[in-house]
Amino acid sequence: MLKMTHLSKVYRTEVVETYALRDFNIDVNEGEFVAVTGPSGSGKTTFLTIAGLLETFTGGTYHLDGVEVSKLDDNARSRIRNEKIGFIFQAFNLIPDLNVFDNVEVPLRYRGMKAAERKQRIMESLERVGLASRAKHYPAELSGGQQQRVAIARALAGSPRLLLADEPTGNLDTQMARGVMELLEEIHREGATIVMVTHDPELAARAQRNVHVIDGQVVDLAEDPRFHAQVQAGRVNI
Amino acid sequence: MQIAPILAALKKHRMATFLIAMEIALACAVLCNALYLVVERVRLSHVETGVDDDRLVAISLAGVDDAQAVDLGPRLRQKLSSIPNVESVAVANATPFGPQAGEAGFRIDPNDPVYRIQAHFYLGDAGFAKTLGLRLVSGRWFTADEYAPVDGFLPKASSLLVDADYASKLWPGQNPLGKPVLVTNLTFRVVGVVARMVRPNPSPFAATNSFITPALAGKGMASVYLLRVAPEKAQDVFARATAMITRDEPSVILDATASGPLTQLRDAYFANTRSMAIMMVGVIAALLLVSALGIVGLASFWVQQRRQQIGIRRAIGATRRDILHYFQIENFLIVGGGIVVGMVLAYVLSAVLMKLYELPLLPAYYLPYGALILWLLGQLAVLGPARRAAAVPPVVATRNA
Repeated sequence: MLKMTHLSKVYRTEVVETYALRDFNIDVNEGEFVAVTGPSGSGKTTFLTIAGLLETFTGGTYHLDGVEVSKLDDNARSRIRNEKIGFIFQAFNLIPDLNVFDNVEVPLRYRGMKAAERKQRIMESLERVGLASRAKHYPAELSGGQQQRVAIARALAGSPRLLLADEPTGNLDTQMARGVMELLEEIHREGATIVMVTHDPELAARAQRNVHVIDGQVVDLAEDPRFHAQVQAGRVNI
Repeated sequence: MQIAPILAALKKHRMATFLIAMEIALACAVLCNALYLVVERVRLSHVETGVDDDRLVAISLAGVDDAQAVDLGPRLRQKLSSIPNVESVAVANATPFGPQAGEAGFRIDPNDPVYRIQAHFYLGDAGFAKTLGLRLVSGRWFTADEYAPVDGFLPKASSLLVDADYASKLWPGQNPLGKPVLVTNLTFRVVGVVARMVRPNPSPFAATNSFITPALAGKGMASVYLLRVAPEKAQDVFARATAMITRDEPSVILDATASGPLTQLRDAYFANTRSMAIMMVGVIAALLLVSALGIVGLASFWVQQRRQQIGIRRAIGATRRDILHYFQIENFLIVGGGIVVGMVLAYVLSAVLMKLYELPLLPAYYLPYGALILWLLGQLAVLGPARRAAAVPPVVATRNA
């Protein structure tokens, strides 16, 4: 489903080259729920932006759903983002000027979908996240948890092949975070492929598989002393 | 099309949207009316006079008193006729593109006591029609016995000629021949219709409201002499005429601003009209520039303000073209709203101008022109900010505002 091989991302200035990702390898199978963990600045968000075709990469290869994406032009990348990927952001990233219904509708409009089908899909995905009754509300009128549910509905409405979540509970309190996490698990059980970036080991533990990133590379958890420190502190369930 | 969500989003920015739409509305109202005035002025500068402009020389005298006039008129006509290349001479009270001398209110309904209409009454002697090269379209020329001395400012004559276009306005659908024209205690009747006779000071909406009455040169009519000259001789004849007057008639003063070849008088008359038109074009340009800057300012501000939103849209599948179109459609809708209000305002403004300056109501076909100009202006103005918006990369979505 998602396969990166020897992938690198370099940020260049006149004086310095910074590797955000270096010889990065990952292979996510269809239907998997993978948590990408790592400390701040490790490169996990860079991984997510490249995986979601929000940014280009410098070297290596990236196959998404069998397509090598490095040669794609901007329009083709937009189309793949629209049709194959659903994004869930830490800050929800709803459009404040639009109500819930219109927010969920945005990606479907860019797909050129007919109004009747759009409406059906929007209502289905809002029901799925339990917010069908809030369709006419604006984001500012909802709680953080509800906003994130709307964002999930928006991501699901287009029936994407891959859900990418960037710290999906990072801006939520514990109770709301639990609700959102349960929703993601439920979506996964129904067959979705989910890649979730988080620095929260507790959240990561609920995924099927953890991929740990340090200094722009995927590492074996056993080699990370910080992980051991956390285990000793009892903050990680193994 | 994304019209519904764009309108929904605009609702959240009512005040800014309203202000920019009102700016457009005002621009539309002023633009339509200003365009109308400019076009009419430009059209006026090409006005057909109905006389042979390039074969006429006007000599206007200032300060001719009645005692002098009695024999000055016939004498000067005689002397001017003897200048080489002069084919005929007419004595009149006014010349096209010179000062008006016979503006008067009149009525065409004997039962209506009010003088509702104004026109210019040309007074001309027997050589007037031939000298000017007027063309009769119906009725007849004056007969010799109809020429009368001027009493006050009109002759005690009973007949007049009228411009064809003006006649059709005064008596729409009717034959003007025989119709009465009542001025003070005089009643004239239309005996003939000339193809065209421009008034001395044509304005955009009153170019030919003029009558011609038959008068005898002398008291009350000795100030204006119109000379029909051989082709290309106007300048030469004018020089000889002024030299003759300076030499032979030291007691009269040549009115330099109203004397000369008619083509020169015409140019001088429209110089003012042209500068007025240029000034109005300048005002229109300034107005459009201010409107465009308003749009650029607001659009740039909104692009900056919605940077993350644009990133989100890009992240969930919008192409650069989608973003570009979003801002273009948004601008189209705002400007469109402004135009709708502006069209109403244009008519209100036109109605006010109509009352103040006796202008006709703005013709409706100026409205789509005004709308088109503003829509194009809007699209042009928003293009820069919209392109900047389209260049916002999708990765911006992941950066928290």
